[in-house]
Amino acid sequence: MPDNDVFVEMECCQLCHDGEDVCGDDYRFERLENENRHLAVLSDGLGSGIKANLLACMTTTMALEFIRSNMDVLLSAEIIMDTLPVCEVRRISYATFSIFDLQIGGKSRIIEMDNPPFIHLRNGNDLKVNRQSMVSERWPDRRVRLAEIYAIAGDRLIAFSDGVTQAGLGQPGNKFGWRREGALAFIQKAIEKDPAISARDLSQMVVMAARGQNKDNRCIDDISCMVIYLRKPRRMRLLTGPPFRADSDAAYADLVRNFDGKIVLSGGTTANIVSRELGRPLEVDMKLVMKAGSLPPPAKMKGVDLVTEGILTLTDVAQRLEADPPLTTPVPLVSKELIALFRASDEIEFVVGTKVNEAHQDPSLPVDLEIRRNIVRRLKHILETKYRKRVLLRYF
Amino acid sequence: MSETNKIKVEICLGTTCYVLGSFRLSALEEQLPPELKSKVDIVGCACLNVCHDRNYGNAPFVRIGERIVDNATVEKVIGVIQEIVSAGGTNE
Repeated sequence: MPDNDVFVEMECCQLCHDGEDVCGDDYRFERLENENRHLAVLSDGLGSGIKANLLACMTTTMALEFIRSNMDVLLSAEIIMDTLPVCEVRRISYATFSIFDLQIGGKSRIIEMDNPPFIHLRNGNDLKVNRQSMVSERWPDRRVRLAEIYAIAGDRLIAFSDGVTQAGLGQPGNKFGWRREGALAFIQKAIEKDPAISARDLSQMVVMAARGQNKDNRCIDDISCMVIYLRKPRRMRLLTGPPFRADSDAAYADLVRNFDGKIVLSGGTTANIVSRELGRPLEVDMKLVMKAGSLPPPAKMKGVDLVTEGILTLTDVAQRLEADPPLTTPVPLVSKELIALFRASDEIEFVVGTKVNEAHQDPSLPVDLEIRRNIVRRLKHILETKYRKRVLLRYF
Repeated sequence: MSETNKIKVEICLGTTCYVLGSFRLSALEEQLPPELKSKVDIVGCACLNVCHDRNYGNAPFVRIGERIVDNATVEKVIGVIQEIVSAGGTNE
């Protein structure tokens, strides 16, 4: 059974080598909820740019496949090395990797080849990790290392490409680069300052600080930092749509009370129901309309983190979360706020009132208004797959 | 005129009203004749819940005091406010 009080937040932040459009490091994550396993892979391809990216992507794709199916570690590594194309310049086929197979409440395996050794932090302390070395007969000069650890709630596992450890190489006072020690000290300080710092914020801070080690803040290598944080989930509950039965209004509004997390109301009628049932006035500032962009502005209610319009806002947010590359149209104020809340939450519960507003189905409306259930399903899918959130859905 | 005696003008920012142009009504405050400015209190509201009621016309809707104005435009709303004021009405 998955432990609902532990959420595995997995994030990786990257910066490309200057002058390149793609990163020569690649990462992949996967959750196997039924097995209570979390997989993460980071690979650094030889060189930079497209060629490196190709090597790294091939490596992460294969590694994820092999680890998922519990294939033998050494055999997996051999297949990866056999498969990678040979670089014309350097005459070798090469990409490093770090593979995490995390089992919550059980033994986790970490398999590494030539990436800087990962860091296992508990209460800010750098835990000693025992590694077993394995050498392939076919590839005697490559060393694969296997570590077995027991990760518990609050732990962080951090891996990076050598763009982090070698940052600042040759700079005065930094002759050998930032090294693992430099990065570790930086991370420990960041955690001391903010003990619950998210994986996302920490990985971003590390890559920015690594770049800062380099002369003129340049990226002379691809820089990646992956952080896996076993945390107490940050919860969010979003209510949208009036309940199917009017006599459920009180129970519905009650979901706003005593919730340990962020509360969002999406929809005018939804907000009115909660306002009426809980006796909390709703305030809409007309002056915000002109500043809000192309959607109705957020409203205010005591004890609620965000009040938005419903269908249009949820549709816009879904489009923006899905878009890759990101949409270039100006982000409406309310979408910006809702996206920020989604991204800063680990477990998101949608409570969907299923009463349909007939006025929305009028074909003479100038826009297509999606049925609420569909748009929420779309949000659930994208938040789970692309943003690795735990999403719960219930109808009311 | 005290706040409570002012005529409350609620502009619906619910989905239907918004897509049918209620956002344009944010210009209402600026375009209000000076003599009316002190007599009204203009606010936004989440959903007036009349868009699916066949007794009313089309969105956008504005509620002025107790009166619902359909197909609301800045001009139409100002007209209704003037009517209420000249009839000596307030929010009460």
